[in-house]
Amino acid sequence: MRFIKVGIEKLHGILKKNAYLSKLQPILNALDEALFGTDKVNSLPHIADRIDIKRFMTTVIIALVPATLASIYFWGLRVLAIIVVSYVFGGLVEVAFAIVRKKEIHEGFLVTGLIFPLILPPSTPLWVVAVGVVFGVLFGKEVFGGTGKNIFNPAIVGRIFLSVAFPKIMSSNWQMPFTSGLGGFLHYQNTLDAVTSATPLALLKNQATATSYANLLFGQSAGCIGETFRIGLIIGGVFLIFTRIIDWRIPLTYLSTVLVFAGANSYFFHNSNIAPAGFQLLSGGLLLGAFFMATDPVTSPFTKGGRWIASILLGLLTVLIRSFSGYVEGVMFSILILNVFSPLIDTVVLNIRYRKK
Amino acid sequence: MLKRARQFQGGYRFKNYINQAEPEILEEKTPSQVIIPLRQGFSIEVKPLVKKGDKVFAGQIIARDDASISSPVHSSINGVVEDIKAIDYLKHKVSAVVIKASNSSQEISRLPGYSAQWQKLSSEKIEELIYLSGASSLGKSGIPTRFKSSIISPEDAEHLIIHAVGAQPYNISLELLLKDNSLVNFFEGIKILNKVMPKAKVHLAVNAQKKELIGRFVELSAQLDWLDIYPLDAKYPAAAEEILVTTLLNRKFPYGYSAANIGVVVLDIQAVLGVSEAVIEGKPLIEKTIALCGPSFKENTHLKVRVGTSLNEIVNERLKIEFPQRVILNSLLMGINLNDLSLPVDRTFSEIIAIPENKEREFLAFLSPGVNADSYTRAFLAQWLPGARKSPDSNQHGEERPCISCGYCEEVCPVKIIPHLLSKHVEREIIDEKLVNYGIYSCIECGLCNFVCPSKILLLQHIKKGQQELAKEGLDRDKCVLPGFELKGLEELRSITKK
Repeated sequence: MRFIKVGIEKLHGILKKNAYLSKLQPILNALDEALFGTDKVNSLPHIADRIDIKRFMTTVIIALVPATLASIYFWGLRVLAIIVVSYVFGGLVEVAFAIVRKKEIHEGFLVTGLIFPLILPPSTPLWVVAVGVVFGVLFGKEVFGGTGKNIFNPAIVGRIFLSVAFPKIMSSNWQMPFTSGLGGFLHYQNTLDAVTSATPLALLKNQATATSYANLLFGQSAGCIGETFRIGLIIGGVFLIFTRIIDWRIPLTYLSTVLVFAGANSYFFHNSNIAPAGFQLLSGGLLLGAFFMATDPVTSPFTKGGRWIASILLGLLTVLIRSFSGYVEGVMFSILILNVFSPLIDTVVLNIRYRKK
Repeated sequence: MLKRARQFQGGYRFKNYINQAEPEILEEKTPSQVIIPLRQGFSIEVKPLVKKGDKVFAGQIIARDDASISSPVHSSINGVVEDIKAIDYLKHKVSAVVIKASNSSQEISRLPGYSAQWQKLSSEKIEELIYLSGASSLGKSGIPTRFKSSIISPEDAEHLIIHAVGAQPYNISLELLLKDNSLVNFFEGIKILNKVMPKAKVHLAVNAQKKELIGRFVELSAQLDWLDIYPLDAKYPAAAEEILVTTLLNRKFPYGYSAANIGVVVLDIQAVLGVSEAVIEGKPLIEKTIALCGPSFKENTHLKVRVGTSLNEIVNERLKIEFPQRVILNSLLMGINLNDLSLPVDRTFSEIIAIPENKEREFLAFLSPGVNADSYTRAFLAQWLPGARKSPDSNQHGEERPCISCGYCEEVCPVKIIPHLLSKHVEREIIDEKLVNYGIYSCIECGLCNFVCPSKILLLQHIKKGQQELAKEGLDRDKCVLPGFELKGLEELRSITKK
């Protein structure tokens, strides 16, 4: 520990002297801060809450651990490779911008770098992962000025870019998960001739085959890497709500809107395009999106009223896109669309709340 | 009468901080020298009546000014005036009288005309005793008497709120202050105040967790139909007058002015005890009970000290010396730093808090389990273990980062403003009417937004800066807050805050 400290201090000295190397200062600072924390003291108030952005983001990652571990079990060690690629290439973009801007490296990327792999199909080639994460971080976040100023969720920007740019890679060939023994913990990936299948939403829409709720809940279905182990996502989401890292309003309203909308359909309108409520809830990326992406504080509305409104719209949009568009899944499109409208929703809510009396 | 429990939106419960002051009291020796600031509590600086070389006795009034809003100041020991000099005291420049003790007698001379049968005294006599004792300078705007001790006169007081909540991380012990006989005295004090302010309805707000205390209060107030008791959730800043007025009385508050301006007098337990001691025992306010709290004291206890005793004498011996300490007056959230320990204690002291000045960098701090970490979030073990003890220090615990709009500051804000929104406007120099609309002048500077911010943004400081910038543009507080209120004693308030 001490020799790391001394080492970092020496590096600080070297960077100070060399004009070229000094540009790498943000990297060293980030390392230094992550390892040793801060020596700054408060002015007023004299005490500070122990939460900081590092802990904040770490807590989100902890909440994703069950789903991530399960995804390795289901899809093989290749998932680890995907995660590493995502962190490395996304991190490079982050570091490059920090160096150019002469700013500190921000921790928001820790979550983006993990969520992005979780919303990819398991068979995504590694180079596609790299392209997607670079695009997402660059155009979803950095062009707006970095963490805190971005309008879009960078992971979703990357994912949608891939869907549009490489439709074939992204939508064909959904593997079925390992289900026996140690599964994916011992294999790099499922063999090529392993059973492939459409995702449960597509199965229902195109072949009217319903996957059982138990299979959906425990991950015995095709789907994106991190979205199928839904029981883990629910546990993680509830954990985040309990720790107050995410606002309970968003997942609660989002999920109940989906349930009510789809439920009302089965009772009153009987439109066969709209899947039943329980199936909507437990299929596709809804749980992952509702707990981990719609709740991103930067890109969702910051007013409480705005959060209610946005989540209701999210629910409606998700069901509409799933049922009536050419796509089988609608969660990511809905979140991206609501990202665009968040500032507007906030403005309207603020104008109503603070209208002149 | 016991009323239903009250709650307010926002705020934060500071629970289980280590090293609270034990409910016991140590009487300090009379000091060999005192420095008596001539401005103590709610008062302008008063003119000295003594000069160098004069002999004074404990309890003698050494400075008073009957023409302005003020309360007299006493010598706290028997001795000789050694000097009258200017000192930098709690952010003000004031004159102070230095007195050297001539003997170590504990005697305190009594005020003339006090009586245990105070009911027989005239209102004027009672008010005179309160004024002469100096107790009238306690409370955020003083206690109204006919001697110009507050910005309003006793007839103008419509409500009297007394609070016994203790919602800070460190509080003076309610149990100690209201032990045995003190509880009876406290109630006598309330009755005396009721006589002084006959038009005022009296409201007593008590920490809702202190069930036993509430029970005793209800017992003692059985005959008093003018007294209401409210259990109040002990969330910080429950004792702020802005919160008490809006929560108990459901009235709009003229933020930035005083509760007295709308006819509400807000007092704490010590002020009420001061009143009863003045009237029943004739004691001038020259002794103060002070709680020594926080992990940097060797012992956490209460002290009874004479006003004017230097901090060195009471704090120095008791501070741990292994590492640097920060010594703070009255509140970890809003209190002044007591850097200069040669300064004296005055009437307004109730807690002295010492915490480690922690400039140590912690290895992998963001991964620490945090068994004694206080946080609004539940991201640390301390929030999962019931009864976990929180230990405070002055470290910032994290680097400054851009705002991620997590909304914690809005959730804890007790006056329903959105600090991060205001802060962003100020940072981008968008200073206009909108800020007023968003309630920038409602800020009561409780400091909770700074406390909870995970990005360690100085929201409070940004809000204050925004207020100053607005004032430069002509949108000052008077213009934005005053319409809609009919305030009493505004000139009087200004006469004090200006100086």
